[in-house]
Amino acid sequence: MRYKRDERYKRNERYNAINAMNNFRANIMLCAGTGCVASGATNVKSVLEDELKKKGLEDEIKVVLTGCNGYCAKGPVMSVYPDDIFYQSVTTEEIPKLVEEHFLKGRPYEKLMFKEPEKKSAVPLMKDIPFFKYQVLRVLRNKGLIDPEKIEEYIARDGYQAAAKALTQMTPEDVINVIKDSGIRGRGGAGFPTGMKWEFCSKVRSDVKFMLCNGDEGDPGAFMDRSVMEADPHAVIEGMIIGARAIGSHNGYIYVRAEYPLAVKRLQLAIDQCYEAGLLGKNIFDSGFDFDLEIYQGAGAFVCGEETALMRSIEGKRGMPRPRPPFPAHKGLWDKPSVLNNVETLAQIPLIIMNGADWYKSLGTEKSTGTKVFALTGAVNNIGLIEVPMGTPLKTIIFDIGGGIKKGRKFKAVQMGGPSGGCIPESLIDIPVTYEDVVKTGAIMGSGGMVVMDDNNCMVSTAKFFLEFTADESCGKCVPCRVGTRILLDMLIDITEGRGKESDIEPLEDLGRDIIAASLCGLGQTAPNPILTTIRYFKDEYESHIKDKWCKAGVCRSLCTFMIDEKTCTGCGACMRACPAKAITGEKKKPHNIMQEVCVRCRSCYETCKFNSIRILPASAREKVIW
Amino acid sequence: MVTLTIDGKTIEVEEGTTILEAALKNGIRIPNLCYDRRLKPYGACRLCVVEVEGQPRLFASCSSPVTAGMAVKTDTPKLRKARQTVLELMLVHHPLDCPLCDKAGECDLQDFAYDYGKPEARFIRHRKKAPPDVRGPLVELTANRCILCGKCVRLCDEHQGRGALGFIGRGFPTVVQPAFGEILECDYCGQCIDACPTGALLSKPYKFKARPWFLEEKDTICPFCGCGCTLTLGIRDGEILRSRGVEGIGQSKGNLCGRGRFGFDYIYSKNRLKTPLIRITPRNSSKLGVKSLELKDKFQSQDSSLNPHPSSFFREASWTEALNYISENLRSISEQHGPSSIGAIGPHRCTNEDNHMLQKFMKNIIGSNNIDSSAAFGYAVVEKAWETAFGQKRHSINLTSPLDKEAILIVESDLTVTHPVFGLNILQAQREGSKIIVADSRETKLTRHSSQQLGIKPGTGIALLNGIMKIIMDQGLFNKETISGIAGFSALQTLLNDYTPEKVCRITGLTEAELTAASETYARAKSRMISLTISASENTKGMDTVLAAANLILLLGDDPGSLQIPAEYSNSFGAYHLLNGSNGLNNSSTGKDIFEMLYNPDSIRALYIMGEDPALNFPDTSSIINKLTSLDFLVVQDIALTETAKLAHVVLPASSWAEKDGTFTNAEGLIQQLQKVIDAAEQPLPDWRILKDLALSMGKDTGIRNIEDITKAITSSFILHPSSFNSQPCFSPINYSPAEKSDTYPMALILRDILQHSGSMSSRSKSLDLVASEAILEINEEDAKKLGIADNSHVKVSSSRTSVYLKARVSDEIPEGAVFVSLHFPHAKINTLTSHSNGMPSITMVKIEAVK
Repeated sequence: MRYKRDERYKRNERYNAINAMNNFRANIMLCAGTGCVASGATNVKSVLEDELKKKGLEDEIKVVLTGCNGYCAKGPVMSVYPDDIFYQSVTTEEIPKLVEEHFLKGRPYEKLMFKEPEKKSAVPLMKDIPFFKYQVLRVLRNKGLIDPEKIEEYIARDGYQAAAKALTQMTPEDVINVIKDSGIRGRGGAGFPTGMKWEFCSKVRSDVKFMLCNGDEGDPGAFMDRSVMEADPHAVIEGMIIGARAIGSHNGYIYVRAEYPLAVKRLQLAIDQCYEAGLLGKNIFDSGFDFDLEIYQGAGAFVCGEETALMRSIEGKRGMPRPRPPFPAHKGLWDKPSVLNNVETLAQIPLIIMNGADWYKSLGTEKSTGTKVFALTGAVNNIGLIEVPMGTPLKTIIFDIGGGIKKGRKFKAVQMGGPSGGCIPESLIDIPVTYEDVVKTGAIMGSGGMVVMDDNNCMVSTAKFFLEFTADESCGKCVPCRVGTRILLDMLIDITEGRGKESDIEPLEDLGRDIIAASLCGLGQTAPNPILTTIRYFKDEYESHIKDKWCKAGVCRSLCTFMIDEKTCTGCGACMRACPAKAITGEKKKPHNIMQEVCVRCRSCYETCKFNSIRILPASAREKVIW
Repeated sequence: MVTLTIDGKTIEVEEGTTILEAALKNGIRIPNLCYDRRLKPYGACRLCVVEVEGQPRLFASCSSPVTAGMAVKTDTPKLRKARQTVLELMLVHHPLDCPLCDKAGECDLQDFAYDYGKPEARFIRHRKKAPPDVRGPLVELTANRCILCGKCVRLCDEHQGRGALGFIGRGFPTVVQPAFGEILECDYCGQCIDACPTGALLSKPYKFKARPWFLEEKDTICPFCGCGCTLTLGIRDGEILRSRGVEGIGQSKGNLCGRGRFGFDYIYSKNRLKTPLIRITPRNSSKLGVKSLELKDKFQSQDSSLNPHPSSFFREASWTEALNYISENLRSISEQHGPSSIGAIGPHRCTNEDNHMLQKFMKNIIGSNNIDSSAAFGYAVVEKAWETAFGQKRHSINLTSPLDKEAILIVESDLTVTHPVFGLNILQAQREGSKIIVADSRETKLTRHSSQQLGIKPGTGIALLNGIMKIIMDQGLFNKETISGIAGFSALQTLLNDYTPEKVCRITGLTEAELTAASETYARAKSRMISLTISASENTKGMDTVLAAANLILLLGDDPGSLQIPAEYSNSFGAYHLLNGSNGLNNSSTGKDIFEMLYNPDSIRALYIMGEDPALNFPDTSSIINKLTSLDFLVVQDIALTETAKLAHVVLPASSWAEKDGTFTNAEGLIQQLQKVIDAAEQPLPDWRILKDLALSMGKDTGIRNIEDITKAITSSFILHPSSFNSQPCFSPINYSPAEKSDTYPMALILRDILQHSGSMSSRSKSLDLVASEAILEINEEDAKKLGIADNSHVKVSSSRTSVYLKARVSDEIPEGAVFVSLHFPHAKINTLTSHSNGMPSITMVKIEAVK
């Protein structure tokens, strides 16, 4: 174990505990989450500040960079306080007008506001926008409200009060009891009760124990943990202090993948600030309790999100899971009792301590209490980060918060739980989102990835995508996972490339079940889920891939033929212009034609056509076309 | 204890036992590929899955501990199905090249596939395409056959403490390889070969030699170090083709080091003696005809300076001729100068029976008591010190003694090199939480695995031990009850007053904090042990070191068994007790000892050397060679033409350890049976048989007809009756005397064994030669820079006696001011440089020059 405390204090000189706090007329909370930065928030900030200066408003209006607001679909987004006016899709061109209208003339600028889909009328206030309306913010309580790089702003929002309470007014047993009563379950995916985990570890006697935070978010399409670490790093640290107190640990690590540089930077800054403020280190709150915290950057292997593999990785060894028992609560990091909690779990701990177990239980269902953050992506209109009470129907999430399917297409399935999860079909869309109900469908709650799919998605390809991921990320230790996932993937590749046999589906399921039964860790035990759920709900798609050599969604290139329906084609030429292969011919205002030997089946024409004139036919249709 | 049922059988096992172990202990077979008793549960192969009543999931039995009342089923249709699938998946990428795999026939994967496999292969599509790695000298790696059970990787890292292999890549393409895919460079213990359940790791010397089902396997005892491991030798057509350890068999429980596994082929060395040889002078060479002249080239010593009779050479002789020649000469010397002018030296390499016969031959046939063994430089020293300090005899160790010790102090020894299997137990103790304090001047495997390393200067072990005692005295940590009954305590106190931490730190180069921490850790531990080695091939320790260590043991009131100094070679223990021991035949009268016989020019006129090579192995070989060449008559009886044999008047070919019956006594004092596993080629005879025949040719009957007679004689004479000798323990205060300093010869030459060799006989092994074939002088980087020595260049090493040329290796494991070299290789002639004091090799000061 290496402690670099002194060094840390030195580095910290640049940080001044108390900033000169000026009073501003208004604060512009500009989202600087990764999503908004990607869509230009950094430029927006500089242009905005220039513009304010130009107008002489720099002392009245302050631009604050916040963590992820969640509404990533419409980035860059910002809200103006104290008015709570929400602006979306802010571009640098619109800024002069915005500044003039809103900040000089006092008239909120409608052009950048959210519009109701039907009425097209502007919705000025954030709380009225459907995306925000159905959400209950607990984990994300500080999103868009505070500057994550300033500890004072976190403290101003009651930060570290829970830690103070836990350290000075509560015994470790009290803390564990509250957490147990609250019914909070681990948000990493498996849903193990956090209070019980802490209790096991607290009962083990040891000179050294470790409190660990799992920030190794690896599911494709999931970014909840990253957002929390970026937007509210202090919440995670406070949760860890409370956890450490409960189990009697004095050393902690936050394991973050190195691909999250912003999260690493903000966490490190937050840790530095805590040391400066005496919230980490020796004798925290004069309670006599010591806790040291360090960041460990992982190299991004998916399996390192598995707890035993994560611990091996911190030890500097090859990140491979080991069999349990011994459980980490007895022998974890460096064979010392350890507790590993997910970022999202830890961020909620301060709230439970402050508000009590009953408050926490007031949301959610009996067995799944509280709220859950989801990364809503895919074919919905409003992609982004959302937090809803447990038990919220899937339909509400997709159609109300998510704003329905893009371009009014047909909802097909929602993939939950990433590579370990499965696809929930339309028939089950009314299920409440709880640990138990999701598992019944064959998917899992997982860490909160929610990928919505419409009829443009091929379910076999979806399964193949996740299997490609798991086969690649399998550590190679146990046989079923190492070889089995590769075999499953090979069979799926064969099916999507037209080499599937009718006898393939049975071995796929059979082998999948054997892998689940025999694998060592969670990765292998869940890897076949995407295949098993898609076979369960979309067997007809597999059959049409195998028997008819027909991918009805037009995704598997070997198994489809794109043709233009002469009856409905208006000859507008849009498809011709969109075709990258120049495979489409035809005269203006006359039905066009696709040259099959030139067509690369990229779907461009299909997505461009406004008249639904492109038909997706089986691969065999190509041969029938006479030239 | 926990009671559970496995397959309906009620079983009681200790808490914490895994289901698999519980089953195996009770004769219930659960298939497994990645389980190994010596390693932590790994849970990778998933073959050992079992069903537990009331649990929906399958349990990996290797990693699931038993719980009370658990009902386990090990063979159900569900399990067979799961195992079948796992095997099917393994065979997806395993190449099934069994027809040309050495493992076929004893391959676990093959056996389990036979048990569980199904005829159809649903998923054959992927093969690995890694070419076999045949670059290493002894171990071949065929990654395609590997099923990634990880036993080799874990055994090398966890058990051997080496970590030469690792997993490269992840997922399906994972392979086992040395770091960066380089050539495997390791201890060459070959444990991975035994552990590998498939043919992925194979012994290169054994490759394509025989199918396992044609091999006849016989167990015998390893001829190298004092651990006395059991080798399972595979023989075909009267030739030993391989040696392996079998799980649970012998003192080592199946562990072997590289010497035991690969070194047996020294018996097939080129210069193995086939017939008796008699030295003749050129004057009568004309009578001998052409055949003898050819022999001139074959057997004449290459180095004329070492040849006592530069113009003489050996000729082959028949047994009758040779024995008659010897008996005539011995008889005439005996008549002229009396029987006490004849001496004999017995070896650690020969069996108890051979040594007993030598004893009997000297005593009864010659009538001389001048008999000693090569153990004089090692085990005899320990025994003497043991007697002085504890008043007891028959010092033996216990190979498993490190396992329950809280603190283990090791003084300037690398037991993982000299006694690898004992060393493994020390490493295991460290893993299980023992604190290992290693005082050594260089980096070794033990220092790397130590809890505390004391980087003392070479040869300052006594000062360190005295310093530790001083701190223990000052802090009152010694045992006040037992101390009063031990003589010499006040003398020790007086001596220790002089060994203040400042002084000890000045001598040893430690810091006071290090010294104090080590002393306290050691003294405060509830169970303790000190271990070191003493032998002719090391020169930083001697009787004084043993006495100083014994003082520490007595001071803390520990049992004498806390001092664990293993006898150096396979039968050092037995040879000493048969030839010199208190119950030995010569204890009543005083004969000349080995030092007198070898170093005193006027001591004796004829010498009978059986299985020992003093001209190479003992310090100051120039004096020895002078002595040997000045003898009237020298008989050497050995398996090969050794450096000493080259000086002899008659050389007699003896059977090797594999070619005879008999017993070895290992360092534990355990008498173990050797088995004659092959017949000797041509004429060699067992040593005892030669002596018996020689006695007959001298006209005397020893009364011995066969080996059983000797065994009976030994048993009845003493081995089963331990000594009743028991006097009081006493302190023998030992002062540290520094090695003499010299400006001309500034560097200290330190002798150390290397892992691949044991004594000089192993240097005749072709396999071991592939790894270490020449003496290497290891030198510190800074020293090398100062002296202008590049890695792998040649250097001239000079002591006040002479100089030799060696290859240098620049290493950061070596302290400044010292160079390390090993004795094993005849060509290096290291012992021409060395000196001895009180019978022990002492640190020789040398000068190192780069050879331009």
